[in-house]
Amino acid sequence: MIRIATLDEFEPKEVAKFRDGLYASFGVGCEHSGLVELPGGFEEPFDGPKLLAALPSVQAYPDDKTLYLTSRKLQDRTFVTGKTPTHGYAQYGKDRALLSIAGSKGLGEDLKWVTRQAMHQLGRLWDLHHCLDPRCAMYPTWTPSFAAGDSTFDNFCREKSEQRIRLSKS
Amino acid sequence: MTDPAAAARLTLAVGDRVVYPNQGVCRVTAVESKDIAGQRLMFVTLKREEDNAVVMVPEAKVVSIGLRKVGDSTQVDGIFEFLRSDSDKANLDWKQRARANVERMSQGGLMGLAEVVKGLQVLSELRPLPAKERELYDNARHLLVEEIAASLKIDPADAEDTVDVILFPPGKERPKRTAEEFRLPSLDDDAEMDLDDPLLAVVDDLELPPGDEPHGEDDTEVEGRAVESEDTPTKLAKPAATRGRPRKKPLETPASNSDDEVTEPEAQAAPPAPQAPSTPQAPRKRGRPPKPKPPGAELPKVPKKRGRPPKVRPPEPVEAAPKKPKAPAAAASAPAKWAKAAAKVPNTGKKR
Repeated sequence: MIRIATLDEFEPKEVAKFRDGLYASFGVGCEHSGLVELPGGFEEPFDGPKLLAALPSVQAYPDDKTLYLTSRKLQDRTFVTGKTPTHGYAQYGKDRALLSIAGSKGLGEDLKWVTRQAMHQLGRLWDLHHCLDPRCAMYPTWTPSFAAGDSTFDNFCREKSEQRIRLSKS
Repeated sequence: MTDPAAAARLTLAVGDRVVYPNQGVCRVTAVESKDIAGQRLMFVTLKREEDNAVVMVPEAKVVSIGLRKVGDSTQVDGIFEFLRSDSDKANLDWKQRARANVERMSQGGLMGLAEVVKGLQVLSELRPLPAKERELYDNARHLLVEEIAASLKIDPADAEDTVDVILFPPGKERPKRTAEEFRLPSLDDDAEMDLDDPLLAVVDDLELPPGDEPHGEDDTEVEGRAVESEDTPTKLAKPAATRGRPRKKPLETPASNSDDEVTEPEAQAAPPAPQAPSTPQAPRKRGRPPKPKPPGAELPKVPKKRGRPPKVRPPEPVEAAPKKPKAPAAAASAPAKWAKAAAKVPNTGKKR
């Protein structure tokens, strides 16, 4: 089950559309778990990994995956090899991911882009790596072709995610 | 490749982090001796960090299976430098590439993983990877990311982004490659290999039977396919060593190697003997000439009747003679094989 926890207020209709998009993409139940209060000590732009670690859990079952959705900005991350703009962060192979829609036109108007970003972060929770196909949602998010793509996986990533979901269910 | 001297020095203690080739980062949980089939052996117990899978390795086999310590930060910096460089071009021969990649994955260490990732990444800029190589790419990337994360003590998601900032630079599209970029420079020039002229000179003197003419259309098709196929450099490099039907291009004379003559090869490849100009030449059929018929074969044949041959009636007896059994009578007039068959089965009328 995918659980969407919102850190800010969103239109319920928009959240419902977003939820339906994720359900169609993964074939797994997806529901809105309500508003989650932001822990203290965090200022915008948020440090994604730290915020994700501090957020309260909304899991009902051990194999639930939680996506925290915010409209506020995340800090760009800096690595030894360079700096990347950050719209989200996921604990690879674990159970929680964070997504910011700052920089988009909003959940209602830019639903395709937000769904693609959410698929990317949730894909990481199911052990998917970055993909070579620009049409796939697992293509790196900081590339220009990412924004132009649809909210779909390529064959390899889709099969791998389905396999991981089956294994986690059993 | 694994340094044999370094591998020989590998001593493992509980708590060490090691890399099991093709499996990933493991932690040593025990080094203990066990009795197996009457032998006392030392075993190293490893637990894979990714999923806590446990494997026990005999201590004597630790070196031979390629177990090694997790790479340090200097090695990781070397990996980043390698990934930044534009030196690596993938081999277009899929067999050589597959063999090299398997060897790199099992024995190449951290750099071997980086080579596989970079090579297949570059190849994917030419064309999409086939399913097997896509899987290999994903495995190599997974192992590389895990080891870098273990080495730099960061989250695997950060390790992957660290690698991909180099492979997919922010704000830039990946370049499109052409097959020309992957051609090996030493195999480019046919002129350097000096294969064309002597072959042409030898084949020019040959007289061919009329059915074995060279066809320019076939030749151009083969060339077209060779350009499109993966193995272009190898095929171009070894024109005389190809198996199967010999290539037909050398049959053209060197002086007549122009585009017009490629499109009209039959006029060029006429037999050398002069012919009378007045007799119009019928268009020659392609393929093997028909077999000569035997002299008596042209007589009209009596159509064969289908089905069982008619029964042979015994000749009417002229005089009163003792009755013979039926089978020998039939055998006397029927063909020899029928007679043999009848002789084998005695007509006694009794069951055995």
